[in-house]
Amino acid sequence: MIKFDSVSKRYLDRHEALSAISFEISKGEMAFISGHSGAGKSTLLKLILAIEKPSTGQLVVNGVNVGRISRRQIAAHRRQIGTVFQDHQLLYDRSVFDNVALPLEICGYHRQEAGRRVRAALDKVGLLSKERSYPEALSGGEQQRVGIARAVVNRPCIILADEPTGNLDPDLSAEVMRVFEQFKSVGVCLLVASHDASLIQRLNYRTLILHEGRLCEDRMPGTSR
Amino acid sequence: MRGPHARDQQMSRDQRATPRNSRSVSPGSASRLAQVHRDIALSSLRRMLSTPGSSLMTTFVIAVSLLLPALLFGLNSNLNAVLREFQDNARITLYLEEGVTNSRGLEVSESLLTGTDISTAVYISADQALSDFSAAVGLENLTQELTTNPLPAAIVLTPNNAAPAAVAALAERLQAIPEVSLIQVDSVWLQRLEAISSLIDVIGRALMAIVVLGLFFIVGNTIKLAIENRKDEIRVIKLVGGTDIFIARPFLYTGLYFGLAGGMLACLLQAIVLIAFNFSLRELIQLYESSFELRGFDIGNALLLILLGAAIGWTAALLASLRHIRAINP
Repeated sequence: MIKFDSVSKRYLDRHEALSAISFEISKGEMAFISGHSGAGKSTLLKLILAIEKPSTGQLVVNGVNVGRISRRQIAAHRRQIGTVFQDHQLLYDRSVFDNVALPLEICGYHRQEAGRRVRAALDKVGLLSKERSYPEALSGGEQQRVGIARAVVNRPCIILADEPTGNLDPDLSAEVMRVFEQFKSVGVCLLVASHDASLIQRLNYRTLILHEGRLCEDRMPGTSR
Repeated sequence: MRGPHARDQQMSRDQRATPRNSRSVSPGSASRLAQVHRDIALSSLRRMLSTPGSSLMTTFVIAVSLLLPALLFGLNSNLNAVLREFQDNARITLYLEEGVTNSRGLEVSESLLTGTDISTAVYISADQALSDFSAAVGLENLTQELTTNPLPAAIVLTPNNAAPAAVAALAERLQAIPEVSLIQVDSVWLQRLEAISSLIDVIGRALMAIVVLGLFFIVGNTIKLAIENRKDEIRVIKLVGGTDIFIARPFLYTGLYFGLAGGMLACLLQAIVLIAFNFSLRELIQLYESSFELRGFDIGNALLLILLGAAIGWTAALLASLRHIRAINP
């Protein structure tokens, strides 16, 4: 589903954010990316979303060569990916319901069908009662969960999550991870950037550890540190 | 919390397997599209009405820009109406040589009617011309005072084809008649008016081109500002996979509304100008005993103006929004 083949990303100031990254995540697999801040986690997610293009190497996501993607293809590519952003990226002048409905609106869903899906997604993150609220009225953790609902509402084949549990208490973190595991079980490919070491350890999934733009460890489940 | 059950799973697979465009041909997609557009149209309208001051300002600028060429074209259509009214009684006067007798003059006059291009020919003898003249100026005894009649005999013609070019051609042909000494076409001033009318037409067209260009900048700039104001929102929509045209849709409606509102306001202003002019013109027209009324405000013209405004607004919005939305990167 996601295949990095010696991908490097160099910015204009010659700073190399990622160097020669190679790994592959297949359908129905869930993996964590870990590493200190500035290690290149966000850049890696940006590459997958085609926000940035790799400087060298080949990155294929869901059959699309992201390095060669055309402007027109980018939107369709992003619709295949549900993304949970670290800073939520919600629309503050729309209700929770409308925020979650956005990906469906883009795809042109009928209002009733969209309504059912939005409520199902909000139910999964435990926010069904807040559908009429506005994001500003919600706590950081609730906003994060709205972002998660929006990421999964269109049933994407890839889910990217950047620190999805950063604002959540352990109970809610566990709930969110359970939602992710449900998607994994139906064949969705998940990549979760997190530096929550205890969470990673407890869940025991494959973990990619980045250090200064290099992939320094690709720990498979079952092996311990 | 509920997990994605089997049906969901099936649906998500189906959805992935089929290209997204194929869904748009399913039955009911037209009604869905109509619903989507109605929602966007309404929210764009609400957004415009939420800033009534600046919206009204923009509308007013568009209306005044459209009003200028519209008034020029209106003036021109009035001029043309005047021309048509007077063309019907365009006349050619043939003054005959001094030695031509009354009987010869009548012969010439009658022979002119054999062709198809002259509808009436009236012979006026030198004596009649003098008595008509003295009656007109109120000096009945003038005929007794004068020893010789200074006036020539004349034939007054009404051409069938009153178009200035046709009249000029006819006059040239009549010049060849040996009995005719001088030809006076009293439609020269009509020709001048027609020349002025075509000049106004050219100016109107040039002004229209400039105004269209100006409107593109005005609407384009308004849309650009609207996009600037919603930059964060556009960035988020791009992140979740919204296409540029999806993001542009509400702005297209905004451009359309501005164009429509500007066109309607231009019609209203035009009507006000015409009514005001008609009021002061009425006295002048009564002096000329003419039934002439200022024209230029009919439903066809009004619709044309509104449609023009709408078309400019929408096109300008399309060009501006695609350009500025493309420039925003997440």
